[in-house]
Amino acid sequence: MKAKDKKFVIGGLIVAIIIAILAPFLASSDPDGLESAAEKILLVEETEPMFEAPLPDYLVPALGESPLGGAISIVIGTIIAFLAMVGLATTARWFKSNSNDS
Amino acid sequence: MHIPDGFLPLWQTGIYYIITIIALYFALNWAKENLDEKRVPLMAVLAAFIFAMQAMNIPIPWGTSGHMLGAALVAIVFGSPWAAVLVLAVVLTVQGFFFGDGGITALGANILDMGVIAGFTGFGVFKALQKLNLWVAIFLAGWASIFVASLAVAIELALAGTFPYDLGLIFMGLYHAVIGIAEGAITVVAILAIQKVRPDLLHWNKTKSGSEVGK
Repeated sequence: MKAKDKKFVIGGLIVAIIIAILAPFLASSDPDGLESAAEKILLVEETEPMFEAPLPDYLVPALGESPLGGAISIVIGTIIAFLAMVGLATTARWFKSNSNDS
Repeated sequence: MHIPDGFLPLWQTGIYYIITIIALYFALNWAKENLDEKRVPLMAVLAAFIFAMQAMNIPIPWGTSGHMLGAALVAIVFGSPWAAVLVLAVVLTVQGFFFGDGGITALGANILDMGVIAGFTGFGVFKALQKLNLWVAIFLAGWASIFVASLAVAIELALAGTFPYDLGLIFMGLYHAVIGIAEGAITVVAILAIQKVRPDLLHWNKTKSGSEVGK
């Protein structure tokens, strides 16, 4: 990777992680647009999720409903999203170099 | 606007999964041809940024909040709505599997709404208005992307018998018309920031000059 690309990645990740840390402190805890509409007009019974996520509702279960647990879990998610995107995009490029070889 | 489990009948979630998988096939083909060494990290940084921004719920009136989707941002930066499909697919999959945000059965519908529909709407509005004024086009692309996606959610939930048609469209449309102002503003700020630090990463700078700026 070129130096300026590396700089962009590091800078971009720092911005994302700062947002992730601040999010649970600054974000509104009001229901979002879909939840808010559902509270008023839902015609069916709400059901439980199909499976229990490891960090449900962006909280670390051991830390309860603290903004700290929120910050930790959102930072973890931000890094997972970054790595998963690198993985998927790199895989797509790998297919190209493979089809060029043949 | 992440649809949870239980809001859509399973056979309908299956249809949305099929549409989304077809879209992902085209999106991966786009990636294969268009991603180079410096656009993989750009895409990954955008995925990280959008994940974090989606956790930042902004309050709007009526005791409601909302967050940006980011699909218009990605589509404009990369000059392709397929890029938005890929990034939102990654972000929504991570949210669903690790954080229980959006149902696993509804993941196909969520990628369809927030990736495909928001991405294509945002990109279409941007392309249509780009020549009039670049930054107005970017703002309106962001606004329209989330507004149209919310109407798609309302229609899906009405087809499922989960929301009534009229009230679903009114509530979803009203809330997201307001949240869209934030989406438009953040899209403008994010693209301004990239324009300032790395203009060569923006698709329109790549095509305008024929070769890449700042190489």
